[in-house]
Amino acid sequence: MKSITQLPWRREFNSWARSDGVTWIYLFKVLIAAFLTYWLALRLELPQPRTAMITVFIVMQPQSGHVFAKSFYRLLGTLAGSTVMVVLMALFAQNSELFLGSLALWVGFCSAGAARYRNFRAYGFVLAGYTAAMVGLPALAHPEGSFMAAVWRVLEISLGIVCSTAVTAAILPQSSGAAMRNALYLRFGVFSRFVADGLRGSNSREAFETGNVRFVAEAIGLEGLRSVTVFEDPHMRRRNGRLNRLNSEFMAITTRFNALHQLLERLRGDGVSRVVIATEPGLIALAQLLDGFANRFLTPGDAAQLVRELEDFKASLPERVRAERAALEELQPSEAELLDFHTAYELLYRLVSDMHDYAQTHASLADHNHIREKWQEEFLPKTSWMTAAAAGIRATFILSIMSFYWVATAWPSGATMILVSAATVALSATTNNPKRMSFQMACGTLLGALLGFTETFFIFPFIDGFPLLCLCLTPVFMLGAFLGSRPQWAGYGLGLLIFFSIGSVPDNLTIYNPYTYINDYIAMVLGMLICAAAGAIILPPNSRWMWRRLEGDLRRQVVFAISAPLNRLGSSFESQTRDLMHQAYGLAAGKPLVQRELLRWMFVVLEIGHAIIELRREQEMLPVHPAYAPWQSWRVAIRVMGRALIRLFIQPDHSNLQRALAAVDHAINRVQNSDEPFGPHFDTSVLRRVKSYLHFIRSSLLDPQSPFASYARQGSIHAS
Amino acid sequence: MPREIAFHGLYMPSVTVLFLIAVVLAWALDRLFSGLDLYRFFWHPALLRLSLFACIFGAMALTVYR
Repeated sequence: MKSITQLPWRREFNSWARSDGVTWIYLFKVLIAAFLTYWLALRLELPQPRTAMITVFIVMQPQSGHVFAKSFYRLLGTLAGSTVMVVLMALFAQNSELFLGSLALWVGFCSAGAARYRNFRAYGFVLAGYTAAMVGLPALAHPEGSFMAAVWRVLEISLGIVCSTAVTAAILPQSSGAAMRNALYLRFGVFSRFVADGLRGSNSREAFETGNVRFVAEAIGLEGLRSVTVFEDPHMRRRNGRLNRLNSEFMAITTRFNALHQLLERLRGDGVSRVVIATEPGLIALAQLLDGFANRFLTPGDAAQLVRELEDFKASLPERVRAERAALEELQPSEAELLDFHTAYELLYRLVSDMHDYAQTHASLADHNHIREKWQEEFLPKTSWMTAAAAGIRATFILSIMSFYWVATAWPSGATMILVSAATVALSATTNNPKRMSFQMACGTLLGALLGFTETFFIFPFIDGFPLLCLCLTPVFMLGAFLGSRPQWAGYGLGLLIFFSIGSVPDNLTIYNPYTYINDYIAMVLGMLICAAAGAIILPPNSRWMWRRLEGDLRRQVVFAISAPLNRLGSSFESQTRDLMHQAYGLAAGKPLVQRELLRWMFVVLEIGHAIIELRREQEMLPVHPAYAPWQSWRVAIRVMGRALIRLFIQPDHSNLQRALAAVDHAINRVQNSDEPFGPHFDTSVLRRVKSYLHFIRSSLLDPQSPFASYARQGSIHAS
Repeated sequence: MPREIAFHGLYMPSVTVLFLIAVVLAWALDRLFSGLDLYRFFWHPALLRLSLFACIFGAMALTVYR
């Protein structure tokens, strides 16, 4: 009886603990780390305790792996930045124009680096950029102190890092490893549902596209988590190779499934044909198998079960194909129908064996050591150099303008303005929308200034002792940390925390000077607003030219698939294409038409690129026999087709599309008319597999859903 | 042991150097533990690592300030 009355209360509490509770724990951890750092910094008489405290605010994240990764790169960035600053100071101490000029170049270089590497490595670049400004500008007036300033800064930052990592790791840790495991287990459940629906043909085009966007985002998100958990947990570090492998195998499965789905869509679009009836039983059987795993957590134990079921399915598949083909052949199908039938079963067979690999890797996660750990193909991100260059040029330009203004007017707060804009421009270089980020930071800073003014001049003079000081600072920090933990308000939180601390957290020797205080805050807000304006005006990344450019890069991935060396090609092709699409998709946020177009390009590029890689692998593994020699007409025809496809994807238009189609048709024809020594059996015949892939490329080019459809129509309008 | 060490004209407390040595030692110990998969016997591996580090560093610092 008692337990029943307690039940709703406990359930409520648990659901609160899992949602808001996590945020509250995070807020208190931030406070503990910040005040511990502050107390130590005051006690050790470091010259700028606020720098140590700001480090805590920047580094603290809800999950511990992120904190470690960010700390590590922050330390590296600070060391690099301080070194560069000391060198610059040694070279140009007498000449501030040269000093400011080279500082602008350095910050530009670092912002470009931050935009190039978008994960935590980016953070090292951000830091290297603005640490140089932070240390260098105040020291410009008395260069003899610059070396000591750099040493103190490194010490302060190390203190902040040590305290925040210790607090995150030891007090109620939220590990990234657990988050990653959750995401990984859940992903396959969602994917099984997706595949089962797709095989039955019951999901709409819309659901198919959102599902794919989701899987792309998850592949990139998981790669991010994986790179972070390496810092956190030896348990996950031992599984690093397998996690890498899991992600790349998952990408291979999604591509394979998209290919099959595209083919089925086309077959079903023709109505209930004989081919559809003949392929249906195999598809339904796989769908039923996957129903057992749909929308569930796939633990390693379940994965082992999945491995066994897929093995049985795979073993029974050739038998099934022979039976279905015999049934189909009795109806006397056309050559094209037979080709469709073979391609569908070839893709299904490949999908099942890819899934089998994936399930094996997943099941192997249970072991501490495993043979599948040996995996060389990494997730390779790809950034357009234009994105990086745009961020670099913007940063250099802003810093040059401000330095010019400062030198020309000798405004006492000019140094603060440059320093703050260097920090803002570097921090916003990593985001999709630098304008929004800078503007949010400016608003946060303004709020910080108002709160800071109240605290500094109306509260601090009346209090005494460290505990009271902490009590007065707590509300501001909690507000800032709360805003920072919500992605849509992250800029406000960051601005409030960092710039409140810069201006208003007292040092050991407190100075009350309202005149400088107000001037400095005006300079800060002004500097950020200029950054926001520059983010909107100078080469803004979230606009037309940028995603056009990325779309071109996306298409060029096919050229990469055709011409890059075959070694490790599969994984790098898959990951780079997804990464490019993900970036472009993020930059085109709020423009659904552009996003759809990008997604459709990604499908075509992945399907055709994947088929080409398979073709190249088949040709690589050919047995030594005159029928397979490189001078045979079918191999020549495939090479010609490769060149036609390169031309098409670099410049898609009507005539190039026709040329590519003709080349594919010719290659299919050559393959059909070639003989081979090892019988025309489904799983032994190389030429039959090659023909399936060629046929698949042809059907991708003709797919009415693909972006090529408009070029095909264009031609027919011209002709009529 | 001297309480300060001169490094290219920069005076550092010896504990700073000891801190770095302790970090390296703790890291090596961590690799050993994870290699033998010993962390599965502990409730809170992160806390264990932190405490081990504190012990190593504390023991080394005692040789300087005693």
